[in-house]
Amino acid sequence: METNIIMAIPQISVFLESQPGHLKRILDAFEAAGVNVRGYSVSDTGDYGIARFILDRPGEALEVLRAQGCASTLTQVLCVRLHDEPGELARVMSVIAAAGINVLYSYSLISTIIAIHVENIDSAESALRHQPIDLVSLDEIAARLRD
Amino acid sequence: MDGPKVNYFEPEIETAPREHIRRIQLERLQRQVAWAYERVPWYKQRFQELGIGPEDIRRLEDVRLLPFTDKQVLRDTYPFGLCAIALDDVLRLHASSGTTGKPIVVGYSRRDLDAWSDCVARLAAMAGITRADRVQMAFGYGMFTGGFGLHYGCEKLGCMMVPAGSGNTERHLMMIADYETTVLISTPSYAMHMCEVGEARGFDWRASSLRVGLFGGEPCTPGMRREIENRMHIICTDNYGLTEVNGPGVAGECLVARDQQHIAEDHFLWEIIDPATGEALPEGSEGELVLTTLSKEAFPMLRYRTHDLTSVTTAPCGCGRTHARMAKVRARTDDMLIVRGTNVFPSQVEDILAGIAGVTPHYRIVLDNETGMDRMTVMVELRPDAFSDSFGEMDRFRRRVADRLRQTLLITPVVKLVEPGGIERSFGKSRRVEDKREKP
Repeated sequence: METNIIMAIPQISVFLESQPGHLKRILDAFEAAGVNVRGYSVSDTGDYGIARFILDRPGEALEVLRAQGCASTLTQVLCVRLHDEPGELARVMSVIAAAGINVLYSYSLISTIIAIHVENIDSAESALRHQPIDLVSLDEIAARLRD
Repeated sequence: MDGPKVNYFEPEIETAPREHIRRIQLERLQRQVAWAYERVPWYKQRFQELGIGPEDIRRLEDVRLLPFTDKQVLRDTYPFGLCAIALDDVLRLHASSGTTGKPIVVGYSRRDLDAWSDCVARLAAMAGITRADRVQMAFGYGMFTGGFGLHYGCEKLGCMMVPAGSGNTERHLMMIADYETTVLISTPSYAMHMCEVGEARGFDWRASSLRVGLFGGEPCTPGMRREIENRMHIICTDNYGLTEVNGPGVAGECLVARDQQHIAEDHFLWEIIDPATGEALPEGSEGELVLTTLSKEAFPMLRYRTHDLTSVTTAPCGCGRTHARMAKVRARTDDMLIVRGTNVFPSQVEDILAGIAGVTPHYRIVLDNETGMDRMTVMVELRPDAFSDSFGEMDRFRRRVADRLRQTLLITPVVKLVEPGGIERSFGKSRRVEDKREKP
């Protein structure tokens, strides 16, 4: 089994109270630091939520958040480019399911790129790489935007 | 035999034999009672209603014949009804932060101010402070007794005073660094705030000149004290006092019997009573502290009910002081919450949180009974390093906090996690409880 992760992308997660203006504070901090948001997801439990971001410069973003005292952390996700056709999402997920790996959450980035957070990221990545599935890096996401 | 070197301000009275202290107390009590009776119509009237006079005070225990006083008496006689001297001889007024309606106001004569400073100098000396210390004041200098009271007491001890006042944490940090101050006077929650801001800015608390924290203005639990001591690398002592009786200086913590405070017994006579019946309790029992001033000229207070729950011991202390020690006030009778029939003290919540890694000791309590039953919600502040990118883990963490609270409080609270820094820091008395319950 391959153990080295090649395509996994760093994701920044932030603890957020469900209160007006709290998400904006985070986004303002990114803007002030010149950090570009490439994809995000916000989910909540009613009292608090977790905002997750794919950013062009995740390391700097984390520093900015830590300096502000935000509860934030860096985790790994896989980003997959989907072809714009029926059954494509099912095809990707079935690869992960066949490898016996649990998807913890997943969300879609710009147009047809989705981020997936799984229990076992290196097995999931290797399972996906052995299929005709288009894993993308941060640079490729940036390049795609320039197309 | 050479014991550890103990720092006193007035060694003769601070280490006097108990019988000598009791003799001074009786003489002063008799004078104070006569003073109040002759000069304050309110006292005279109450004495007459009870059929007693100053001559009935023959022994210290006779203090129990006297009427109680409380906050309400000061409200009813607001502002100067209890003043025993001509207002021309009152040099200063202080007031307590009234949460509702009018504040409580008290005045001080020149001798009162002198005695007050002596009491504060004693408690500063108890914490090991000497004239070589530089004292940075982070209390506000308003009507609140804390600022001026501790200022003049430390100045009397001979310290260099840095009267910075409250707020402006950045400036406080700069002053510690530039003036090499050694003592910080603040509320424990402001010290905690200063500690956090300093840590975020890379301030090196271990290397800083600061060595002592003198706390007051709000209760400081042992857990919170230990945390501040460990993070700021200082020794913290608490002191006790209340505006109605004097302000800070009623009692102070020495470095031997930690979490207890020596009462300045030559100026204040203590009793411990059953708060429900008003009956005296034997030494060592926990009950409500009642204080009688022994040397006040302007506003003598006889048998003032503090509503603070504590116990007092006269057993000898390793520091050599012979004045009785009161346990750290565990709770105020009027701070006590009754939730589903169970007594809950906010200070317990703080103490439990201080023992849980992953949260700060800052909290808010909200009580409601929307569902027909009392519900206690505790807002708890998450530490940045305790965050995880998993709702499952965050929820397990939240339940663990709730469980720890339940083990001590014996009721199950709802725990809500809030962002780091999300709970308002208090700069004076904490406003941490909101009771939204509809009263039947």
